[in-house]
Amino acid sequence: MGVPLAFPPGTGAGAAPGSPPAIPPGTPALVELQGITKAFPGVLANDAVDLTVMPGEIHALLGENGAGKSTLMNILTGIYQPDAGTIILDGYARALPSPQAAIRAGIGMVHQHFKLVPAFTVAENIHLGWSRTPWRASAAALEARTRALAARFNLAVRPDAVVGDLSAGEQQRVEILRVLARDARLLILDEPTAVLTPAEARELFAALRAFRASGNAVIFISHKLDEVVAIADRISVLRGGRKVATRPAAGADERGLAALMVGHDITLRRARPRAAGTPVSAAPVLELDRVCARDDRGLVALRDVTLALHGGEILGIAGVAGNGQRELSQVVTGMRRVAGGAVRIDGRPVARTGAAAFAAAGIGHIPEDRLRSGLAPDLSVADNAVLREYAGPRVGGGGLFRPWAAARLARTIAADAAVAVPDFGMPIRNLSGGNQQRLVARREIRVAERVLVAAYPSRGLDVGAIDTLLSYLAELRDRGRAVLLFSEEFEEILALADRVAVLFEGRVMGVMPAAEADVETLGLMMGGRGARA
Amino acid sequence: MSWRFQRVPTVPAGAALAGRVGAILAALACVAAVLSLAGLAPARLGAEVIGSAFGSVAGLEDLGLLVTPLILTGIAVALTQRIGLWNIGGEGQFNAGALAATAVGLHAGGDDAWVLPLMALAGAAGGAAWILVPTLARAFAGVSELITTLLLNFVAALLVAWLCTGPWRDPSGRALATTARIPAELPPLGDTLHWGLPAAIAVAILAAGLLAFTRFGYEVRIAGANPGAALYAGIPVRTRIVAVMLLSGAVAGLAGTIELAGTVHRLQGGISNNYGYLGIMVAVLARGSCLGVIAGAVLMAALLNAGIVLQTQGVNTSTVLAITGLILLFTAVGDEIVHYRPVRRTRILG
Repeated sequence: MGVPLAFPPGTGAGAAPGSPPAIPPGTPALVELQGITKAFPGVLANDAVDLTVMPGEIHALLGENGAGKSTLMNILTGIYQPDAGTIILDGYARALPSPQAAIRAGIGMVHQHFKLVPAFTVAENIHLGWSRTPWRASAAALEARTRALAARFNLAVRPDAVVGDLSAGEQQRVEILRVLARDARLLILDEPTAVLTPAEARELFAALRAFRASGNAVIFISHKLDEVVAIADRISVLRGGRKVATRPAAGADERGLAALMVGHDITLRRARPRAAGTPVSAAPVLELDRVCARDDRGLVALRDVTLALHGGEILGIAGVAGNGQRELSQVVTGMRRVAGGAVRIDGRPVARTGAAAFAAAGIGHIPEDRLRSGLAPDLSVADNAVLREYAGPRVGGGGLFRPWAAARLARTIAADAAVAVPDFGMPIRNLSGGNQQRLVARREIRVAERVLVAAYPSRGLDVGAIDTLLSYLAELRDRGRAVLLFSEEFEEILALADRVAVLFEGRVMGVMPAAEADVETLGLMMGGRGARA
Repeated sequence: MSWRFQRVPTVPAGAALAGRVGAILAALACVAAVLSLAGLAPARLGAEVIGSAFGSVAGLEDLGLLVTPLILTGIAVALTQRIGLWNIGGEGQFNAGALAATAVGLHAGGDDAWVLPLMALAGAAGGAAWILVPTLARAFAGVSELITTLLLNFVAALLVAWLCTGPWRDPSGRALATTARIPAELPPLGDTLHWGLPAAIAVAILAAGLLAFTRFGYEVRIAGANPGAALYAGIPVRTRIVAVMLLSGAVAGLAGTIELAGTVHRLQGGISNNYGYLGIMVAVLARGSCLGVIAGAVLMAALLNAGIVLQTQGVNTSTVLAITGLILLFTAVGDEIVHYRPVRRTRILG
């Protein structure tokens, strides 16, 4: 660290270093995507997306997880082929049938999860799979070439270091050098600052501005609004596979961008006022005390989260997807160990860890991804319905599993959920997504003696099914249970929750009563701004 | 306007069965074509094959002797399949089980009534011991069980070969490369058949019951169907993997014991007769169903029997292996094909 990163001024010489170069009128766009459409089984990942990136531009691509950013970039880098649409490079329509073709066309990508070989040295990684790698490649020769490249692009790397020993910031520099060495004119960065310290991020930004100054372009994928506004020239927002807007960064406000990302055109839901005489318990049923946790990659995902959840209230968790919601929902349901701090149920630290112990303690969990974790799609409706109670006396007992008792319990749950199941022995994936979700919700409400953790309960449902699910939550609240509601829709949280907590980069930005919260304040807090309320 | 194939997630049972039957018929048609090209008469050969296996009591008993180990090695594979793993090492565990049972049978004299159970225990323990290292490596270090179980097969085969040509060689000197005859024998059930067949069927039924009617079985099925759901439900996946793999090894070891005490009566090189590998095919044919393994074992045994008949007609062993391979290949293809149906392509205009 400490070595300044700068690109030698190229065609942009004369302009102030780092400022966008003057582009003569009539210059064709470096990249123009027209009507890019890509479908995967069951999901339309990109739906007629248009995107134009000019030379000398840093173009930010905003969107939540699953908005279609990665698919679009995979198409631009030749990994996927679009089902429909045209890719125009420098004014000429081009097909990019392979990643090699995209690299030859000057498009290079630095992925969020680096594609380096950890056991190889920096020099070996730079030269891996490169047509210009000399045929007789001694370690010394590769290192000399790497040193020359590093000097040319002014990127400080140690050619003989083994990549596995480098910090994330250093690895990212190797990735960037790898792309630039292949004469990239368009550099695509996927969440580049996610793994960087603030100082490293500043150096990266300086390097990107220098790269832009020589007439090259950058596509910068992120969901951090503040840094996007700071670095980008223009900003495009994807939502649900469609491009919803392209705006100049100058004058863009974070609040408006946040609303664009999560979608503001959702009708205000019917508020569900609490029934008269349903008090909120004085003592919290679930407490998080300065909880820290790491995600699956070992990066810190929750930082000093302190929350208290009382019986008879709904606490909404708002935030742009990917800011620690997943880890928080897993910590409060025992699926993820805490790296620091304490989780207390009824004031006592949980004696046993593990999801089964939390469920036994009365914590139900409607998981974010029903199919991936809440259900075993290939197994029968009955098997899935008893996932929480198979060990209990109704179905299990004495080490046994009684399929007929499981079917009986499944019928009860299906009746509660008002789901018509023709055959309880058929695989549950034959049911519609909405019906699967209703069954999961009812199954979890049965075990939620104290708390129900509902992660995005309305995701993927139609209006009617959403209404039913949200009424379940209100009903639980009125019975004195606590509900932790994760949602990406302000209206849902504001209509249902008693209090709202906003997560940003794993921190609680603030907790406020829902009655006092407004979309603007929440939007700012979701973008990382705003004082603690 | 063009047509393309669309994958459907679930297939009705009738279509799945039709796919199976069609696949086997297609494989046999291929075989018949090749045989007639070689100047043989497929129809006459087919009649002879069916007659020899199903036409006499002796034929049926011989078939039963082949079915017995195949059921057990098939169950060994089917059990691990249910938790999403592959035990490719049935062959090695079979040998290890036979070896352990031989150690007891040769050195523990006395009444069959207690020597046989002791041999069964030793055989099961031997099979479980042979899969122990792959199990721990899988559960705690994430090492692919495919490689480790497979490689140990060769170690077991060489160990058996060394023992019966070395330390345990028949002291009477009448037979080469085998141990002395083991005094304890499984009680007969006909001329050549023995109680190993009912025992193997009982093991298959027990395994099916274990999976369907116990809490352990439920947890195994969840962990195999979706490890994410197992984590979500708090099921200790690692412990279940260890238990299932050891059980699988024990069943394969039991197969070796029964083959030894009922059919071969001496430990010798090649006692496993590829039953461990054929068990994989049996389990695939049964699609991981423990009761289906019984039917799969009968089909496989009939094929092996057909091979013996064909050899007397001058068809060599490689051809016989090719036939079994063809049937497996066609079945696998058929299982996939029934998932597809043609639909008209709808073009999205850009």
